[in-house]
Amino acid sequence: MSSADLRTEPNPDLEGVPHTGEAVLSDGYLVEPQADDFDHAKAAPTDPHWYKRAVFYEVLVRAFHDHDGNGTGDLIGLTRKLDYLEWLGIDCLWLPPFYASPLRDGGYDISDFRAVLPEFGTVEDFVELLNEAHKRGIRVITDLVMNHTSDQHPWFQESRRDPQGPYGGFYVWSDKDTGYPEARVIFVDTETSNWTYDPVRCQFYWHRFFSHQPDLNYDNPEVGEAMLDVLRFWLDLGIDGFRLDAVPYLFEEEGTNCENLPRTHGFLKRCRKVVDDEYPDRVLLAEANQWPADVVEYFGDPAVGGDEAHMAFHFPLMPRIFMAVRRESRFPISEILAQTPAIPSGAQWGIFLRNHDELTLEMVTDEERDYMYSEYVKDPRMRANIGIRRRLAPLLDNDRNQLELFTALLLSLPGSPVLYYGDEIGMGDNIWLGDRDAVRTPMQWTPDRNAGFSCCDPGRIYLPVIMDPVYGYQAINVEAQSASTQSLLNWTRRMIQVRREHPAFGLGDFNELGSSNPSVLAYRRHHVGNHDTDDDLVICINNLSRFPQPVELDLSEYAGGVPVELTGGVRFPPIGELPYLLTLPGHGFYWFQIVLPDIGRDA
Amino acid sequence: MISAVDLVADIADALAAVLPEQRWFSGKGRPIHAIIPLRATDLAGADPRLVHAVVEVDQGELPRDRYQFLFGVRSDVPENLGHAWVAASGDQGVYQAENDVELAVLLLDLMARGTEVQGLRFATEPGVTLDTEQRSRPVGAEQSNTSLVYGQTYILKLFRKVAAGRNRDLEMHRALAAVGCQHIAAPLGSIEGPLGTAGEADTAAFGMLTEYLRNVADGWAMATASVRDLLAESLLIEGAPGSVEHADPADVGGDFASEAYRLGHVVATVHTDLATALGSSPAPAGYLDMLADGMHRRLDGVLEQVPELSPHSDELRAAFDAVRGFEGPLPVQQVHGDLHLGQVLRSVTGWVLIDFEGEPMVPLADRDAPASPLRDVAAMLRSLDYAANHLPLGETDSEQRAAVALAWSTRNQDAFCDGYAQAAPDPRKQAVLLRAFELDKALYEVAYEHGNRPLWLPIPLAAIARLTAAHP
Repeated sequence: MSSADLRTEPNPDLEGVPHTGEAVLSDGYLVEPQADDFDHAKAAPTDPHWYKRAVFYEVLVRAFHDHDGNGTGDLIGLTRKLDYLEWLGIDCLWLPPFYASPLRDGGYDISDFRAVLPEFGTVEDFVELLNEAHKRGIRVITDLVMNHTSDQHPWFQESRRDPQGPYGGFYVWSDKDTGYPEARVIFVDTETSNWTYDPVRCQFYWHRFFSHQPDLNYDNPEVGEAMLDVLRFWLDLGIDGFRLDAVPYLFEEEGTNCENLPRTHGFLKRCRKVVDDEYPDRVLLAEANQWPADVVEYFGDPAVGGDEAHMAFHFPLMPRIFMAVRRESRFPISEILAQTPAIPSGAQWGIFLRNHDELTLEMVTDEERDYMYSEYVKDPRMRANIGIRRRLAPLLDNDRNQLELFTALLLSLPGSPVLYYGDEIGMGDNIWLGDRDAVRTPMQWTPDRNAGFSCCDPGRIYLPVIMDPVYGYQAINVEAQSASTQSLLNWTRRMIQVRREHPAFGLGDFNELGSSNPSVLAYRRHHVGNHDTDDDLVICINNLSRFPQPVELDLSEYAGGVPVELTGGVRFPPIGELPYLLTLPGHGFYWFQIVLPDIGRDA
Repeated sequence: MISAVDLVADIADALAAVLPEQRWFSGKGRPIHAIIPLRATDLAGADPRLVHAVVEVDQGELPRDRYQFLFGVRSDVPENLGHAWVAASGDQGVYQAENDVELAVLLLDLMARGTEVQGLRFATEPGVTLDTEQRSRPVGAEQSNTSLVYGQTYILKLFRKVAAGRNRDLEMHRALAAVGCQHIAAPLGSIEGPLGTAGEADTAAFGMLTEYLRNVADGWAMATASVRDLLAESLLIEGAPGSVEHADPADVGGDFASEAYRLGHVVATVHTDLATALGSSPAPAGYLDMLADGMHRRLDGVLEQVPELSPHSDELRAAFDAVRGFEGPLPVQQVHGDLHLGQVLRSVTGWVLIDFEGEPMVPLADRDAPASPLRDVAAMLRSLDYAANHLPLGETDSEQRAAVALAWSTRNQDAFCDGYAQAAPDPRKQAVLLRAFELDKALYEVAYEHGNRPLWLPIPLAAIARLTAAHP
């Protein structure tokens, strides 16, 4: 390969749209698109803690709606469906990466941070999405991979071609492949080393993930500045925040495992400062697939309410919810919540039942791994279902009671819930498509051709729509479920509404109310308002068993109060000194507001 | 104001009427001839007033049982205390005070301040400071105690039937706490003092305050939830009538084995802690014969009442006689003494053992005698078997159910022993003794069920048939 070849465009698809490297300055720097080249979206209504109360919705641009009829969903298609998301009650969309990419790692291999993957549309389309979303009070965040780029990124192409040029030090190069021996290989199935030889530069480059994803060299201050400018580019356009991918790995240091290093935290503090100083109301969500006690570090200093990420995912909760219902015992959930440390006042967990990032056993401590192994991996069904990617409905045998129970838990446990597109109608998966694509099939809008996703020739769709008799689009679709008052979709919408009416769910503290019945998980969410009238006290009681269960709760602290059921407003018998007896149907749950006599006499 | 002594004398007749209704009264079914106050002490207040009392109940036999009371006295007894009513005294009402939130919290105050009233000592354990801003509530009926929970923080166990001398529960908790045992509720305070104000100067324990374990469920509830799940799964795959095909307990969601394993580990750890705290020594000469003789005696007694047992008597006797020839190390030490799934609580950090009083029906001297830890292990194995079998009760044509129960019981007994063996010698290595202890416990169960719950009798009978059929 001659060096002349390398000057060819790494992203030929970006011909005709602004992109990185369309020109090169005399000093060797690549010309990159600037935010001022585009219109900026109007901001969403101001609310500094919106992310604590928000319901998030993870949606794949490719899978939601195809506007131009080429068989692949696009940003305009998503924009056209915002009315639906507003109707459903969604507060924030989380879009996995839609940047220019060779798509060798689902778009997490970014070849241009400042351009949109052409099949999804353009930067202008994205600004239009932001505008239309903000009009509806919906915010939008997206993934940003800060640790590495695609090997097709012009920065890498320049770096390998010209070691002395401005990008020569953008990546971690070495003459030997022996550095940082204590850093584990994460993708052991495909990679044998964290170093790969580049025949162009005749050196090894460092990568914590795939060999086609070279790690950026944060030791070089220019890299940090360049990445902060990428943040500013999208924030200027009006994006509401980022989910920062693979954050524990930014820096390397000899003699360490190169994870969670102090300098990595230092860089996150810089990112947070940019957001706080220049873009208030936007959020950073850290992806650190680790145990809660370790993840808490990524919220930063609790003394100032947190000065790194605003949010982080609580990974172990999800498998514990499945395990608890399978065991008909609250302890898997109770234990993990008891082990979850307090978080800074400005921080919030993100919780989910399904998304593409799931708990992996590599991340947990030995003791926890033993526990997870004995409780979770040995169970053939848990092993088969949680490890690979299934949708919620097939995981739960399409059992409506369990779907409702799981959703109620998601909406009421501490943290901001993240729904996965299609789960609100109980979409199925297509396991024949393999691990990644099984849960990425087109959204099912109508019983018409291509499920209303696209008007293209069915053979042209990026993945076939689900067609089996139970989950197929003719049975499961938004149109049919919108029309039925009893549908899962309308039920989910109603529960999101109820959640919205009660600040306790997003802002309240969490206290488990024990009971002698191990199959019942009951907890209190209490938001202490600025005035008595803002006080919001909610009690959630969940039956994790398939069989009806009684439970006696010690609510004597609220003696004289009246539990009012939240979905129907029915007043239950008042609380006295004696244990409060409730019976729950199999997999049933209740949400109550406790109306205390002194403030709720007229309620 | 009438003195406490006169007050209690005044209501003695009414007490005779109230006593038989109390769950913890052990003299039910026998006439009460007299109530004799042993002591009566004003603890606090005038209206409401809190009075502590011990009375002796004359039912014509000796020794007479003694019971502890807390009386509230008010001119105006609120409606919600009506169910605790005892009698009127003058123009005031007397009622059992453990239900009175206003009075119950005073007990905590007295302990926090280390008060002594007429020899009655309210104390905290060394180094403990109590938060007295806690609202109290009585919790469920118990066989021999009344418990009060303060906030979500403390639980005060009031011993109702009291006896002079040491209190095993309190002593064992103190000993285990002293060696840092993590698997008990930490003892925090006590109420002790002379049993009577005159004549009866011997000290008794009246109450024990421990940490309240929030968010716990007992082992019985946990285990039976698992059995319930297995039975439901088995119904789904039930084959033709008469088929014993059933779901494998290892494959179903409600599997309990990892909990049973952790429970075994905790029981072994507590045994080790007890040995550290209170000593362990080789069994004295004649211990094995004493054990075997005791087992034979129990068998003699039970055979008289339960003829269904006679087909197994030869095997039972052989199993007991085998104990005499047991060889190998046999340490004896303090053990729990009344271990079953109802005495273990699952908390968010693991299992906790409660209630170290020992078997309530056994004299204190016998409960205190050092014993083989295998007794506790055998008792827990029997309890797991009970949990496995309690749901199929009443089912006819339950061959499949019995097979399910056996599969569950076997899996979880094994898991319990596996866990136990992680922290102490594997009990299955002493199979002869373990089996004899299990059979002895099952005989006790046969006698109990025969007298009290004939429907449950098949559970221990089936266990005896199974254990005697399988030779170790």
